[in-house]
Amino acid sequence: MTILEILEQSWDNFIKYYIGQGLLWSGYAYTLALSAITVLFGTILGSLLAIGKRSKFKPLGVIITAFVEIIRGTPALLQLYLAYFVIPMLLKMPGLSPFTSVAIAMSLNSAAYTSEIIRSGIEAVDKGQTEAARALGLTEKTTMLKIVLPQAIKNILPALGNEFITVIKETALASTFFVGELMTTYKTINGINYQTIPVLLDIGVFYFILTFSLSKLLGVFERRMKKRA
Amino acid sequence: MLEVKNIYKNFGDLKVLRGVSTHVEKGEVISVIGASGSGKSTLLRCMNLLETPTYGEVWIEGKLMTPVDPYLHPEVIEASKTFASLKASGMGTEEAIVKIKAEDLLKEKHSAEGPLYKKLMKELYEANHIDVNEGRRKMSMVFQQFNLFNNKTVLENITLAPIETAKYHHEKDMKAIKEKVEDQAMTLLKRIGLEEKALVYPSTLSGGQKQRIAIVRSLAMNPDVMLFDEPTSALDPEMIGEVLDLMKELAESGMTMVIVTHEMGFCREVSDRVLFVDEGYIKEEGTPEQIFKAPKNPRLQDFLSKVL
Repeated sequence: MTILEILEQSWDNFIKYYIGQGLLWSGYAYTLALSAITVLFGTILGSLLAIGKRSKFKPLGVIITAFVEIIRGTPALLQLYLAYFVIPMLLKMPGLSPFTSVAIAMSLNSAAYTSEIIRSGIEAVDKGQTEAARALGLTEKTTMLKIVLPQAIKNILPALGNEFITVIKETALASTFFVGELMTTYKTINGINYQTIPVLLDIGVFYFILTFSLSKLLGVFERRMKKRA
Repeated sequence: MLEVKNIYKNFGDLKVLRGVSTHVEKGEVISVIGASGSGKSTLLRCMNLLETPTYGEVWIEGKLMTPVDPYLHPEVIEASKTFASLKASGMGTEEAIVKIKAEDLLKEKHSAEGPLYKKLMKELYEANHIDVNEGRRKMSMVFQQFNLFNNKTVLENITLAPIETAKYHHEKDMKAIKEKVEDQAMTLLKRIGLEEKALVYPSTLSGGQKQRIAIVRSLAMNPDVMLFDEPTSALDPEMIGEVLDLMKELAESGMTMVIVTHEMGFCREVSDRVLFVDEGYIKEEGTPEQIFKAPKNPRLQDFLSKVL
């Protein structure tokens, strides 16, 4: 198969499936929706985990550490499979869409990573800042809100942006359950015309356009943030 | 005004302070000298409980600031006294415990006596204790690394703590307080000739400027005593002078100060009293004259021969 042939087939696919049947848009829509939900809930839950881990109630910290270690120490695909079968059972909703189960699993997965990002962002703030605030008689809470967190956010946001990109790529795993994101689009078209390489390359380009433009966008934000500091 | 009693501080197996007691009177300037690792910085940090002493008490203006050991609670002390006297009168241990418990129960049952007793205990506690944060506001600290808040402008660095303190005290007219605090901050900045830096962030300042602003930030709390933890040790040599000059000015204005320092010349000039800390003890204490001209302790003699 020559490059020219691949390009030709890609173009045919583009007209026929990606645009013609709107598979590109639905693929992007599902990928973006799944990533956005994952990052949103992952960040909220991750923040709660990070706060919980800093709490003075030690057992909570142990439970959270165990959760984070288990999530990080097992394959994401395995977690998705487990969620796919277990969550509908737990919620007693046998008809639950795979998308929901997958979104819950990916949010939990991302929360584990995000909590570590937030924790290390907070710990990276110079201890002297906290000491100076406490020595001036500020309470622990005021010190956290007015001194530590504003500085920690500058460490956290860039890493969170990277997490967003990682999540976008990981949504490809969801194609195992045909949730309709970009990687599912590959399976759909491949199922119709049995083409492999051209379609894989197309999908790769689509992913790359998304992640590359997002990383450029994040770069702009980062530079703006640095300027203000 | 400030008193530490029998302070011990262990970091794991390392015994940094082994029973240090001293007091600071109003208007006094005290220097703490000693070799690195002698415990002098730890002593200073124990004074405002940035390090919680393993054992011992910190009193500020007649109020206890160190957290109270529950076993030192008056109620418990009373009970243990009763226990001892019951034992002395020949009663068995278990019997004595049962008797004390019965008496306590009696207090609870007596509807008049129970709550009254509790109220009395609460009043006693409140009369003798001071909240850690409240205590710290009376003795602000200046650090070796300045520790200006990076995310705040110079002006905000100075006004943050006074404004928050007013909030903690539930002051009503926050707007007026904010204005007053900002005025005071600008006056202080003018005093050190840095009023044009009010709106810049600390990252643009030199070390000497940072430290002078850190001193002014402490001053804005109107503290009763200021603690200095090696305030010139992180400065470039040409900037030490400006910081020492400001501290000298403060000392002359009657500010109560405790200074951990390696600047022997400065220490000799401004101090009323010098403490020599070594191996976790105050090994010698006296006027600069006594310490520098006629040191008695061999360790102090050795230390001075090295630094002078």
